[in-house]
Amino acid sequence: MNDNAHPGRPGTRSGSAVSPGRPPTLTSWLRGRSDDELTALLTARPELARPVPADVGALAARAAGRNAVLRVLERLDRFTLQVLESVIALGDDRLSEPVGATPADLAEALGVKPPPAPADDPLARALDTLLGLALVWPDRGRLRPVQVLRDLIPHPARLGPPLRALLAALPHAAVVRLADSLAPDSTAATPVETVATALSDPARVCGLLEQVDTRAHRLLDGLAWGPPNGTVANARREVAPDTAASPVDALIARALLLPTGDDTLTLPREVGLVLRGGTLFRDLALDPPPFQGTERTAASVSRASAGQAFTVLRAVGELLEHWSQEPAAVLRNGGMGVRDLRRAAQVMDTDEPTAALLVETARAAGLIGADDRVGGEWLPTREYDLWRESPPERRWLRLASAWLESDRVAALTSTRDSGGRVRNVLGPGLTRPGAPQARLDVLGELGSAPPGLAPTAESLEARLAWRHPRRGSAVYTELVGAAEEEAAVLGLTGLGALAEHTRPLLDGDEDGAAHLLAPALPEPLDHVLLQGDMTAVAPGPLVSELARELALVADVESTGGATVYRFTEGSVRRALDAGRGAVDLTALLERHSRTPVPQALRYLVSDTARRHGRLRAGSASSYLRCDEPTVLEELVGDRRTAELGLVRLAPTVVASRLNRAALVERLRSLGYHPVAESGDGSMRLTRPEVRRAAPADTGGPAESGTRGELARAAVRAVRAGDEAATATRRPVPLPEDGAPGSRAQAAMEALSHAAEEGRRVWIGYTDTDGRQVSRIVEPSSVDGGFLTAYDTTRGAVHRFAVHRVTAVAELGPTAD
Amino acid sequence: MSCLIVQSDKTLLLEVDHASAEECRRAIAPFAELERAPEHVHTYRITPLALWNARAAGHDAEQVVDALIRFSRFPVPNALLVDIAETMDRYGRLRLVGDPVRGLVLESTDRAVLEEVVRARKLKGMLGERLDESSVAVHPSERGNLKQALLKVGWPAEDLAGYVDGEAHRIELDQDGWELRGYQKEAAEGFHAGGSGVVVLPCGAGKTVVGAAAMALTGTTTLILVTNTVSVHQWRAELLRRTSLTEDEIGEYSGARKEIRPVTIATYQVMAARRKGVYAHLELFDARDWGLVVYDEVHLLPAPIFRMTAGLQARRRLGLTATLVREDGREGDVFSLIGPKRYDAPWKDMENQGWIAPADCVEVRVDLSESERLAYATAEPEDRYRFCASSDSKTAVVREIVRRHEGEQTLVIGSYIDQLDELGASLDAPVIKGETRNKERERLFDAFRAGELRTLVVSKVANFSIDLPEAGVAVQVSGSFGSRQEEAQRLGRVLRPKGDGRAARFYAVVARDTLDQEYAAHRQRFLAEQGYAYRITDAGDLLAGEI
Repeated sequence: MNDNAHPGRPGTRSGSAVSPGRPPTLTSWLRGRSDDELTALLTARPELARPVPADVGALAARAAGRNAVLRVLERLDRFTLQVLESVIALGDDRLSEPVGATPADLAEALGVKPPPAPADDPLARALDTLLGLALVWPDRGRLRPVQVLRDLIPHPARLGPPLRALLAALPHAAVVRLADSLAPDSTAATPVETVATALSDPARVCGLLEQVDTRAHRLLDGLAWGPPNGTVANARREVAPDTAASPVDALIARALLLPTGDDTLTLPREVGLVLRGGTLFRDLALDPPPFQGTERTAASVSRASAGQAFTVLRAVGELLEHWSQEPAAVLRNGGMGVRDLRRAAQVMDTDEPTAALLVETARAAGLIGADDRVGGEWLPTREYDLWRESPPERRWLRLASAWLESDRVAALTSTRDSGGRVRNVLGPGLTRPGAPQARLDVLGELGSAPPGLAPTAESLEARLAWRHPRRGSAVYTELVGAAEEEAAVLGLTGLGALAEHTRPLLDGDEDGAAHLLAPALPEPLDHVLLQGDMTAVAPGPLVSELARELALVADVESTGGATVYRFTEGSVRRALDAGRGAVDLTALLERHSRTPVPQALRYLVSDTARRHGRLRAGSASSYLRCDEPTVLEELVGDRRTAELGLVRLAPTVVASRLNRAALVERLRSLGYHPVAESGDGSMRLTRPEVRRAAPADTGGPAESGTRGELARAAVRAVRAGDEAATATRRPVPLPEDGAPGSRAQAAMEALSHAAEEGRRVWIGYTDTDGRQVSRIVEPSSVDGGFLTAYDTTRGAVHRFAVHRVTAVAELGPTAD
Repeated sequence: MSCLIVQSDKTLLLEVDHASAEECRRAIAPFAELERAPEHVHTYRITPLALWNARAAGHDAEQVVDALIRFSRFPVPNALLVDIAETMDRYGRLRLVGDPVRGLVLESTDRAVLEEVVRARKLKGMLGERLDESSVAVHPSERGNLKQALLKVGWPAEDLAGYVDGEAHRIELDQDGWELRGYQKEAAEGFHAGGSGVVVLPCGAGKTVVGAAAMALTGTTTLILVTNTVSVHQWRAELLRRTSLTEDEIGEYSGARKEIRPVTIATYQVMAARRKGVYAHLELFDARDWGLVVYDEVHLLPAPIFRMTAGLQARRRLGLTATLVREDGREGDVFSLIGPKRYDAPWKDMENQGWIAPADCVEVRVDLSESERLAYATAEPEDRYRFCASSDSKTAVVREIVRRHEGEQTLVIGSYIDQLDELGASLDAPVIKGETRNKERERLFDAFRAGELRTLVVSKVANFSIDLPEAGVAVQVSGSFGSRQEEAQRLGRVLRPKGDGRAARFYAVVARDTLDQEYAAHRQRFLAEQGYAYRITDAGDLLAGEI
């Protein structure tokens, strides 16, 4: 194994650069492209770089592969697709020489006149796109499609196959008969060539057309604009021009129609082109259909979308705070039950579909996760704590980006799968690989509308059909519908138009998005309005510190744009239980209130504080003590406390037979408010514990860095690989069948030698997956059976096991 | 910054100090109920009922959505707007119409809705024969029940069947020496335009006059239902003073007298009285062809009268109240049986405009003596409130308060007769309680009104409807547990604007650290939500003369 050539793959030549005399190939053309152009290719078709191809040959093979081409076809718009079909139709290598279509041919066939400014030339732009995607490559000034397109698009522009393809499938005798009748004097090598060459001349085809009657012309007219196949009985009949009885016979005899099945006749491409008068498309879709819809002002769109964004943040925050205390259960299939979803919807003041979307989005953003116990629970993650502290626009961006990338479709919640099982939110069956693309398509298309325009659903659908005609399917349509609705709920759109802050997000510019969104979101406040009816109104979102303190000392009564808190004895006691003093609480209220603190509220705090802790209960032997004998008197005198077995020990101390917890509970239920006491006589303070799950694996992209950076790195790797594959090298002989270990020994010596001299060497290597790869490395040391070397292919220092090194070669000067 | 904040539970918070608050209030009032009106931020609530009432009054969803978007400080969640539009759209799919041939008919152009309603279990027995695809017969007596049940299933019927005209009877307002106030006129006209409904005005704002004005607009025989006999006489006196009605035209239908005249005033008590299990006076409703039924203090409407009212849907109905809060939570029934709220004015607004006297509410906290505390602590649970509310320590405080307001008309109000008797003796003031004869009551009230009597001790018989214009000070010593409306009604006794424009004083004497204090907090809630901030004072300071 001394090189990594891939014989049989199209366009690849074993380890050498293009020689001047050789016809160009896709590989040689790609190799000649600049790094920037290759980077652009890998950016536009990122799947080509996963994994990074070993060299340009492998890149070309992958780029021309069936599945890779199918994927990229989905991204083309209708016009570019029409141009591509033109290249396929005219540049088919089975058409007569010269192979390929010139841009001028294409312009004529499409009926596009070149505009005065070349930059505005839609055809040139489309061709650039196709070249950039490596779907089309130039061969001496003529454009040729990648081979596989011939099979993927068998009827480009609804034209039939070229004559050569049709004739090749016919019995030899039939072809000979045609050749004899059409071009008896031909000098071509084979009968197929004879017929094909003859009919590649449009004038000749016209001549033949003139020989048939109008009935035959009507038949042809029916096939001219496609589909190019017609059905007839006994298609493989034998006829000659002068014995033709019917119009069909006349056409078959002149090769104007050729059989492709027992009862199918096909119009050859050459004939179809003549019949169309050289034009490929009757309805050229040069531009997308114009948008239809409602004009909104930028301000109203921004208000509506920011409003939704804010609502989403608040709802998610509320739900996760709620789950901190009362988590939802994880179903056996990993999802969340209907009842929990309903409760989540209640907590968030919303309906269930919206709740499902928000829950899924929060999971995608890594804010919730299941703890790994059996019968586990959905809990906020530690990420949530960080998220909660970040500014609102960042919080929204985290959710929005997660949604854009997530392949889960919340809209499928509560639908049934093919087995009749209901799909649960967070459960299996909600994954749709096409979802992220559908979302990008919808938002991208909305982004192409004039700012503030809210297109109708039909108009958007028509645009998408033009933009990506090959995506259309029932699933895609469904995903597009879901994406539109979900984008509105999440605040990526407002009133049906794209929000300004979404534009930068689509380009991956989170800072830009944050910059636009921040001013539209309500700013966190640090004050509330206190009122005489024991409520506090926070007229907007509060800074999180204040929000948490207030939630401790008062009950939340309603939420929304504002939050209404109500102070009750219970809520004040909760704050006291958590260790706040009456003075702290009053100071907090004074500091943050825009209005005077009502006297009644001061009294509530001080009264509650005065009573708080007046009764103290201990567990050592379960006692109650109180500085005021009358309180204990009251307690002991209470008929209802008989079951507590109270014994008065001293004017200020009462003991109980119950354990402390039961005692405290019973006393509270009787309307007393004892505070539990620890061994040293200090108060035991309690506050509800909040619970967290471990960070969740959200299945998000494992790669870091931007797409551009990744693509550039990939190009570097391909170039280096190419160098490795095509470098001229002098192999260091390794014994094939020497003593065990002698190969490794020889390799080790060669490598140590190179390390000492600081030379670069080529190595052949069997990687851990058993693949044969080649690398150019700069060895730095060899020891312990491992080679440590700078791998120029990957641009990093690596360790290679010497026993896996299959070949070592010294590098000579590369051939030019 | 605008003044309105929309909450996700469909409440609206209005910042009242904001420049555009008044404009905003007018815009949202048609479709949102004022729930609380404290000092700074008023709370309105959008309920389906309020939205449907808005539809009935000719507002459409677009106006509602527009008002919210225009005034809201923050963007309004789209889901809420959609919900409003959908809720409003449910109104009017069903219509109750009077058909000259087929009688009362429930009809709909939306067949699906009619099918749903016909099959609804809650409506069983209320609907008659199916007439055709789009209509069902309804028995006239079920009109009220059906409307109430339709509200509950979410398909409110638009009642186009109209009202019986009733027996015409000329009634005119006799505006001699007084004038109908703007809001009274508005309230009466708002009612008349709608045909039936509830008018909510604070105590002392002249609800009787609104009733009289409504009677004048309707111009028919009228049945007036009031809380007690004293109130019957007050209504009678007011009507004689304010309208063209003469003594002969007004009848009293009470325990003592059973007159049926073109305008008849009856008490709830007599209407709800049963003899051998049947309502003995039910026929009063049919005794004449009443064109209008007025329910005074509609928040007290007892359950039997609720049921009777359901059968009166063809007659115009006017409910009057100051405090539409019911501890039994049946506010909704009042609206669906009497009619929607036609007029509502926050108490503080009325005060600012000078229609009711400004009031200073003071909670005086009394420390129980050591022995009282001990006694309270050992009292049976069912007696505890009574014990702390009527503790002796309060007497000295009440005496001190009355002494300070010497020369002013002072009411001492309580619930426990023993306590009141004791206070009466201590203050040397007459006591009016349940057993006091009506004649004696009226004599004492007259003496009090005339200023011959400065201090009057009253039980809960004087909670409502007793018009004592010059009373300027009220001292509440005990109450019916945590009743919010009782507190408000008692404050109402002193809210009539005074001749010299002085403020009213309302004292609530409360025993510290007892049930009394807990109930007091609950009782004050309605008033606090109307913007009356209680001042808390220590009885010790008061007695020491520091305050």
